[in-house]
Amino acid sequence: MIDPALYDQARERISASGFTPEIQTKITLLLCTAKNGNLMFHSGVQWMQNLNVVQQFILSQYSRELEAVTLLSRTTQWSKDPALALEGSRIVAPLMLAWGQIMMPPGPMMNPQAAYRGISLGHAQLARIRLLPVIPENADPLNPFVVALQRIEQENGRMLQTQIRLLKNIGTEIPIEEREALVEQDQELVDGVFSEFLAWLAAL
Amino acid sequence: MPTIQFGHHQVHYELAGPPGKPVITFLNGLTQNANLWKSYAEYFVPRGYRVLAYDMLGQGRSSKPVIDIKLSMHADMLDNLLGQLKIEKTHLASISFGGIIGLDFAIRYGHRLHSLTAMSTFAELTPQLDLLGAVMLQGLAEAGLPYLQSMLYPMNMSSTWIAANRERIPAMKRAGYIGNDGYAMQNLMESFVEFKPLTPDLHKIKVPTLIMNGEFDFFTPRECHEVIRSKIANSRLLIIQHAYHAFTLEMPAVTMRQLEVFLDQVAAGTWQGDQSVWIAAEDPAAETQWLPCAGDWRRAVQIGVPVTAPPAPTRRKAPSRKKTT
Repeated sequence: MIDPALYDQARERISASGFTPEIQTKITLLLCTAKNGNLMFHSGVQWMQNLNVVQQFILSQYSRELEAVTLLSRTTQWSKDPALALEGSRIVAPLMLAWGQIMMPPGPMMNPQAAYRGISLGHAQLARIRLLPVIPENADPLNPFVVALQRIEQENGRMLQTQIRLLKNIGTEIPIEEREALVEQDQELVDGVFSEFLAWLAAL
Repeated sequence: MPTIQFGHHQVHYELAGPPGKPVITFLNGLTQNANLWKSYAEYFVPRGYRVLAYDMLGQGRSSKPVIDIKLSMHADMLDNLLGQLKIEKTHLASISFGGIIGLDFAIRYGHRLHSLTAMSTFAELTPQLDLLGAVMLQGLAEAGLPYLQSMLYPMNMSSTWIAANRERIPAMKRAGYIGNDGYAMQNLMESFVEFKPLTPDLHKIKVPTLIMNGEFDFFTPRECHEVIRSKIANSRLLIIQHAYHAFTLEMPAVTMRQLEVFLDQVAAGTWQGDQSVWIAAEDPAAETQWLPCAGDWRRAVQIGVPVTAPPAPTRRKAPSRKKTT
């Protein structure tokens, strides 16, 4: 579980300074990394054989992740500070590494373990990266960036249903305990990244 | 917060009070966590009890499995937790979702109980509850956790409470949003797909059982508690006046006092489980805490003796108007 104090500190920081270009850039760097990883995975598995109805959900999630990335990129007031990009890359590196491992040849389309891991990591990202609690009460509800964050988070909850159904019902030979362990491992990975990100968000 | 290992899951718990004292274990509702029983620990520990509360699988700081949690697993886990903490027997007080786990535990692990308190709960899904559960699940899946939270406040609390706490509700929702995970809650709710009514096995519960129901609880109304009362011979039912579903949160002082009265009776050997129905005093300091319930307790209105209406006064016919031209 992510320490609630981290959310509070990040929110206090935003409450004091507003959604500055620096804050917006930090948030977008994190979200876009997570969503680009999931996008890459979905582009790799959406034409897998025998997906049947699941294919619709995977195609749909691919499109909605793409929309989220576009929406964020359009609404973000970017900071030009290259140090932010460097530090942001360091913080999200474990996510990029994990997605890289999943996509490593032969890729998830040919590797059931990697396919399951991709679903599990996607689940962890959609479930655990939550930014609504850092939006302060004094934030302008019509600020395009705030509106984008709210829409993305609501959409994350809907998209998560695909991962939930797949994790529960996918035909796999991986034993249930091993699957649960995989899911917990990915949650810990995402929690670690997100905790560090929240601390970074709160920093001056 | 201390932790035990249950299979490959972690379970966080809080145990307050000195060893050697009788233990009261509290079981949470669906969106609750162990912290919410802190005031109960502060009340009961000075009165000579130990208080155990924990986050069930899928809640708070315990593991939140994605794939599967069978409903029966929760009672097995409680048995395991008590075993690891070397607690041979406990009083068990449980609410709502936890109430079902409490009933299941009392049926299968009754030898580990001194007593059972079942609050705002049910042993089987009535058609109304079945549909309510389905709509909650749909709301969670399609609109998300904030929607479910918004839905639960008016379902659980009275207008008086909402009016008094309106300004605090956004902060409470935010804390709940941070502490809970929608998918974990969904997993808990989906475990009801395989839920088999506990009603046929309720007669196996032999320990003193207090059933508590809020007067205005429309989420788990009287009919749910009537099923439990009628099947457990060693039970009594207590109605909490003016209370809704989550009275442990809304009226902690009243709830704690009622629990204390019950536990005192069990300890003193004066408890009489006769399936009778009582009404809890509104004042925790009142000398008499359990008041007799008159009339049919399952009804929301009490029908009195018809009053014979006095004969209607005869009306004089108004003179007809003559049309004038």
